[in-house]
Amino acid sequence: MHGVDHALAFNRVPVSAPMAPDGTWLLRLPGKRSVLIDRRATLASLLLIGLLVITSILSLCLGTVTLSPGEALAGVFGEGPAMANFMVSQLRLPRLVAGLLAGAAFAMGGCLMQSLARNRLATPGIIGIDNGATAFAVASVVGMTVSLAPPAMALIGGATATALTFGLAGGAGTRGYRFIVIGIGVGAVFGSLTQLMLARVAIDVANAAFPWTVGTLNARPAGAVTTLAIGLLIGVPAGMGLVRSLAVLRFADPVAISLGLKVGRIRFLALFLAVGLTALAVTVAGPVGLVGLMGPEIARQLSGRGVPLFGSALAGALLMILSDLVGRMLMPPLEVPVGIIVAVIGGPYLLWILLRSERMTP
Amino acid sequence: MSEEHAVPAARLRTRGLHLAYGDASIIEDMNLCFPDAQVTAIVGPNGCGKSTLLAGLARLHAPRGGAVLLDGKDIHRLPTREVARRVALLPQDTQAPEGMTVSELIRFGRQPHQGWLRQWSDEDRDIVAHALAVADLQQLAQRSLDSMSGGQRQRAWIAMAIAQQTPLLLLDEPTSALDLGHQLEVFELIRRQAHTGTTVIMVVHDLASACRFADNLVAMHAGRVIAQGPPDRIITPELIRELYGVECTLLADPVTGTPILAGVRRA
Repeated sequence: MHGVDHALAFNRVPVSAPMAPDGTWLLRLPGKRSVLIDRRATLASLLLIGLLVITSILSLCLGTVTLSPGEALAGVFGEGPAMANFMVSQLRLPRLVAGLLAGAAFAMGGCLMQSLARNRLATPGIIGIDNGATAFAVASVVGMTVSLAPPAMALIGGATATALTFGLAGGAGTRGYRFIVIGIGVGAVFGSLTQLMLARVAIDVANAAFPWTVGTLNARPAGAVTTLAIGLLIGVPAGMGLVRSLAVLRFADPVAISLGLKVGRIRFLALFLAVGLTALAVTVAGPVGLVGLMGPEIARQLSGRGVPLFGSALAGALLMILSDLVGRMLMPPLEVPVGIIVAVIGGPYLLWILLRSERMTP
Repeated sequence: MSEEHAVPAARLRTRGLHLAYGDASIIEDMNLCFPDAQVTAIVGPNGCGKSTLLAGLARLHAPRGGAVLLDGKDIHRLPTREVARRVALLPQDTQAPEGMTVSELIRFGRQPHQGWLRQWSDEDRDIVAHALAVADLQQLAQRSLDSMSGGQRQRAWIAMAIAQQTPLLLLDEPTSALDLGHQLEVFELIRRQAHTGTTVIMVVHDLASACRFADNLVAMHAGRVIAQGPPDRIITPELIRELYGVECTLLADPVTGTPILAGVRRA
């Protein structure tokens, strides 16, 4: 058709360019199909997977009772001594799985959010999603009149915070500072609501709600991990399906539109995924939203370019289980909640990013 | 326009186009066509609606009424990827993601032709190499855009649009931030591209450049087209007074023969 006429008119300049673009492997598939694989991102993912395996084994072995890697692995399959079997399959493995899934979900949510807002600081936490989720979960624990199970309330809270942020930001969409400033405000409102509720109930009830306010892997509500796993089973492939579009979304809207991107639809899908994954992760681990900032940042540093969604998930999972391990080992038999460890590392890291970068685009 | 007998071949037209921002109507009932394989420059004073018109042509801005027709079809009803294979846009404010290299940028021009299982073909490689060569950027292919001069960066963006391999190319003030030498480089690149049969439509701030590098001028004032045609036919002191509210004397450039303004003074 029209495009073909034009292609005929176009004179090829003789070229001696290498087949695949720099820094990529070209995978040729049957039927003129082809896939480009970014070398550095692939190596970064392999490195993160290696570290994840090592940290996972460590967190199965270490604790009040130290197991050898052999015992721990035997425990996973229920073939070790009864004590090891119990420790691993009842205590450490479920906790490890919860940490891996929650970390991956927080970081993927963060990476999606940063891509669609074109801002490296735009985590779901910063626009109030996890504070909203926490406030609703706490409301459920302290027995406010309307009450579902805390995880369900957390999901509703996350969605409410997002809707509020969007509604108040008006026509500004997800771009620019207005959206983020309003998100910070919405987050602050939910944060203070949480404090208010905790201040007005009996101390025992407040203690029961405490895990929801700091973030810990020690108080996983039944069923929440399964729900999160299902969420990730849908969310990871869906997110990977958006990666090519998100790469184009790094340009300003006029460029993205003229390259044929359905900008509004991509933003909506990415936001939907970011909110869903973050709220589900809050139901498992409480508000550890800083993972959504640090996971993608680590992946970005390692991968170099593009939108490292998969790398973010790996880095977030690693960060989560490493922080949990540190929290468990720091002063046994007391546990420092994972949310506090992440905040202790994350605060200075956030400052470092702010001081180091001139530009805030992802 | 009335002296044109035959309607020129034009793949891109507007029909009763009405563009508005909120309550403010910018352009009303505009009927225009952009002749194929020519360079059309849209000129006019600040706020005359020329950038709004370009945004409408590039489907960035949905019309309040009427339509932009691409090959006879409403551009907003065509699939956006389909439009991206026919129309490329270089917006005024371009910023590439941090650290992106020239060749990475140009590769994005292939996006509308690619898919999940068609991420890189021999054709893509040849076209990217061609775009690099046309824009004279082969030596700079691996340079980061952040580290280049404004003129080089602008050529890289045009090369990306060339890699898109569209029969129509829209540019919004492609030389506005450039010095004289770099302006010339960019305009010459645009002319070379028009020479291969590409239809170019650009918003140009500087009337003299528009006269020199465009085949066809569209002069706009307060959202209306007040003259359209080849620069040497339509540029008159009267038109310039109507457009900019200034008096001037018109001379022919002794080298290129195109109109230049002399003795510009307030009316």
